Amino acid sequence: MDQGILRKGAIIISTITLFFIIVPILHIFIKLSAKSLIATILDKTVWTSIFVSIGCSICATLLGCVMGIPFAYFLSKNRFRGRAILESVINLPVAIPHVAVGIALLSLFNDRTVVGSFFNLFHISFVDTVYGITIAMLFVSISFVISSALVGFDSIEQEIEMVSRTLGASSSYTFFHITFPLAFPSILRGAVLAFARSISEVGAILIIAYYPKTAPVLMYERFEEYGLSAARPVSALVIFLCVLIFFLLLYLSRHYARH
Amino acid sequence: MLDINISNKYKNGFSLGVSFCIKENSYNIMLGPSGSGKSLTLKAISGFEKIYGGYVRLKKRDISNLAPEKRNIVYLPQNLGLFPHLRVKEQLYFPFKARGISIDESIISMIVKEFNIVHLMERFPNELSGGEGQRVALARSLVARPDVLLLDEPLTGLDFHLKMKLIKFLKNIKNRFSLTIIHVTHDPIEAVYLGEEIFIIQDGRIIFSGALDQLWTCKANGFVQGIRQELKELGKIITTP
Repeated sequence: MDQGILRKGAIIISTITLFFIIVPILHIFIKLSAKSLIATILDKTVWTSIFVSIGCSICATLLGCVMGIPFAYFLSKNRFRGRAILESVINLPVAIPHVAVGIALLSLFNDRTVVGSFFNLFHISFVDTVYGITIAMLFVSISFVISSALVGFDSIEQEIEMVSRTLGASSSYTFFHITFPLAFPSILRGAVLAFARSISEVGAILIIAYYPKTAPVLMYERFEEYGLSAARPVSALVIFLCVLIFFLLLYLSRHYARH
Repeated sequence: MLDINISNKYKNGFSLGVSFCIKENSYNIMLGPSGSGKSLTLKAISGFEKIYGGYVRLKKRDISNLAPEKRNIVYLPQNLGLFPHLRVKEQLYFPFKARGISIDESIISMIVKEFNIVHLMERFPNELSGGEGQRVALARSLVARPDVLLLDEPLTGLDFHLKMKLIKFLKNIKNRFSLTIIHVTHDPIEAVYLGEEIFIIQDGRIIFSGALDQLWTCKANGFVQGIRQELKELGKIITTP
């Protein structure tokens, strides 16, 4: 009896949750007129912003992997005082409001600071450039890569690596042929989430690099200047592409994990 | 063949002080309760535990500071350490690839036949039964042609039937391939069946070393007496019609 009530309750709550996620997304498409959608598809500005978003998200995800995977490996294989604090620090970007992230990045990386001047030597400026967008995306998404990679590395039994070493494999051979392939499904999941987080970022980007406009910034701008009906077709197109890319990446990561 | 003299002290107060010799082509059982230092000794021999005082010598060569991959001592853990993402065939190729040498198909096919795993070559570890997994893991260890094979509780957790089958199998391959084996366990029965030389370890010290028959006659402390008593009682049960 009790179990039956629990089950029914869980089904009802699950349905409400599912509707809560799906309905707002579907609603945008329902309210969309074919004319405005075609106009958006033919709008060059929209496609430029989408390409900027996708390009910068890919760069941020790759950079996140390059920085995050070794860090996660180091954390997983070493026990030291302060490790728990480090693990909390990893998740800080998720907890900080993203406008504050933008302000923090702008104050550190603007051209007048030591860091900004250093990058200027290589003709890299972060204010209103793709570098600024990428660094903002990297900051808000790197936690996903590190956390997932950490879970992946932690799940590998130490004995497996020990066996590999005694069978004649060096520590680097063991890493690339045993540890990394075994942790790869987790890393890939983290990278997919990081990509999704990057492409959806707006708060930090608005502060550090309003230009070139990313798709979310363009949506925000159209909404601010022309209202809901002008923002809707861009949003619909971006949502459609994001969902497509997200499910494709998710499918690939699951496909790899299964095999 | 293998001379071990380790004197390590740890931050938690535990000290490992073991000194013993392993003869070539012998089956050695290291027997002791959990926390006695058995696995720590294996780790020190295989190169995963730093030796602060003492040495490990293999064929009179000091290998104390060599990396695990350079010692030619293969470690086989209780969970077998099969690589989940590699097929059996690839597990057997691994020692060759890891060392950057060409794959010797003749050795592999001889071992594969001997271990009766020909039909398992295309399978992944999760598609193997407990006994098949043990055979594959042992075959992979032998493909590496180790000077010493370290077995860390290889029979723990197996049902009686499989355990007895594997005991026979281990005895057989030890003789067939002239192996030098150090087998760590807490089960005196494994010592009775397999041990040509037995080392009893307690609180980080070897308190008995010798053949099984010497175990009955040696001066013994409480732990060794306990083992004797267990074995005697087991003997009574087995001989009772």
